[in-house]
Amino acid sequence: MIHEPPPFFHRGPSPLARLTFFALLAIATMIADHRFGALEAVRLSLSVLVAPLQQVAGAPAIAFSRLADYFASQDRLMQENRELKAKLLDYAAEAQRSRLLQAEQDHFLAMTPSRSRFATDGVLAEVLAHGRNPFVRKLVLDKGLTQGIKAGMPVIDREGVVGQVTAVGTFTSEVTLLTEKDQSVPVMLTRNGLRAIAVGSGKDGSIDVPFMPVSADIQNGDLFVTSGIDGTYPAGLVVARVTAVEKNTTYVFAKITARPAAGVDNHRFVRILTGQRPPPAPAEARAEEKRPAKDRPAAKGRRQP
Amino acid sequence: MRPADLTPVARDVMKLPAGPGLIFASLVGAYLFNSLPWGGWALLARPDLVLVVLVFWAMHQPGSVGQGLAFALGLAMDVGDSMLLGQHALAYVIATFGAQVLRVRVLSFPILEQTLHVLGLFIGASAVIVLLNLLLGAPLPGAAAALSPALAALAWGPLAWLLYLPVLRRMRRESAT
Repeated sequence: MIHEPPPFFHRGPSPLARLTFFALLAIATMIADHRFGALEAVRLSLSVLVAPLQQVAGAPAIAFSRLADYFASQDRLMQENRELKAKLLDYAAEAQRSRLLQAEQDHFLAMTPSRSRFATDGVLAEVLAHGRNPFVRKLVLDKGLTQGIKAGMPVIDREGVVGQVTAVGTFTSEVTLLTEKDQSVPVMLTRNGLRAIAVGSGKDGSIDVPFMPVSADIQNGDLFVTSGIDGTYPAGLVVARVTAVEKNTTYVFAKITARPAAGVDNHRFVRILTGQRPPPAPAEARAEEKRPAKDRPAAKGRRQP
Repeated sequence: MRPADLTPVARDVMKLPAGPGLIFASLVGAYLFNSLPWGGWALLARPDLVLVVLVFWAMHQPGSVGQGLAFALGLAMDVGDSMLLGQHALAYVIATFGAQVLRVRVLSFPILEQTLHVLGLFIGASAVIVLLNLLLGAPLPGAAAALSPALAALAWGPLAWLLYLPVLRRMRRESAT
C-alpha cells in the first residue's frame, strides 16, 4: 500500500531538487550564451520587454543633464562656439584636401575592383548610458536595428575611435570600448607606417600594444591610426597616442602603453560608421571559397577561345 | 537580551497574504532602482534591491515566490546589465534556495538578526557572480564591490517595514470590522 501525504501537503519538488534543476538550467544558459552565442534571439526579445523599464529609470538623469544644458552659462557656450569655429577652419582645409584625394581615389578605384578603405557613411548617436556591467566597459547608444545598425560597426567621436558595436537591440545598441580587456584594433604608426595591434588593457584611459620587438621604432608621443587591414575599422581613424615605452633587453618584447585619443569615457554624441565592408568570413568558409575561386580563372580560360 | 521567540512567526505576521499586485510592484520598483544609470565605483557598490525584495518574498510568501521567479528575474537583470545570460539567474536561484531553507529560522528573529542572516545570503550571491566573471577571465572588481552586499543587507530592515505596511494596514482594517 502506498502512503501518500494528503493533497494539501503537496508542494511539488523539494527546494533542493528545484535548486539542482534551476542551477543546471542557469549553467546551460551560460554555456549556450558564451560558447555558442545561441541566445541572441532570447536576449533581443527580453531586451524589448526590459527596455521601457530602463528608459523610465534613465529618464531623470537625462532630464537633469538636459536641464543643466539649458542653464549652461553664456560664457561657456560662447567659448565653446569660438573653439568649434576655430576647429571648423582647421577641418575646412583638411576637407578641401580630402576632396581632392577622394576624387583621385575614385579615379583609381574605377580602375581596380577593390573597395574604399576610408570611412564614408555614418549615423549620429547619443550615448544613453554607460553599460551597467562592472566587469565590462560598454556604452549604450540610442540607435539600433531599426536604424540599420549592425554588430561590428566602428564608433568614433570627434577625436578618434571610441569602440565597436557588439550587440544590437531594437532601438539601442551596445558599444564595447577600446579600453575593454582584449578588445583589439589593428593600428599603424603615422610616423613610419609600422603595423601593430592595439589591445585594451581593462583599465580606464589606457591601451597596450603588445608583441612589439624591443628594437621597434616607437617613441613617446607617436600617433597610432587604424590601418584598415582588418576590414572592420576603416583606415586612418585616430586611435591612441603612445604615453610610455619601456624597453627592457631582458624581455623579448617592449612594453608599450598608449592613451586613447577619443574621450572614451566622456562624450554624449558619437558617430557610428555604417558604410562598412562585410566582415571577413570565418576560416573554413574562406577555405571553401578559395577552391572555386581557383577554378574560376581556369574555367574562364577554357571558355575563351 | 530577551529570549528568542522560537515560534515560527511567519504564520502569524503574514497571516494575510500579500496580493500579487504588491509583489509585482515591489519587484518592478527594485528593478527600476537597479536600472538607474549607475557608473564607476557606484555601480560596483550598488545594492541589488531586486535580490533583497526577492529574498523577502521568498521568506514571507513561499507559496507564490520561488526559484522559478528568481531564475526569470536573474535573466532580466543579465539582459539589463548586458552580462552573460544566466549569471544573475544562478546567483538569485542559490540565494532563493538559502531563503527557503532558512525561512522559519530567520523569521523567528528580530530585524537586526534577520539582517545578519540575509547578509550571508547576499554575500553568497555576490560571490557567485564575481567567481563566474573571474572564470570568464575578467579582472577582480574593485574593493567597492564588497560594499554591495552590505548595503543590500542594510536595506533589508527599511524594505521589510515598507513591504509589511500594506499587509499590516489590511490586517488592522479587517480586525476593526
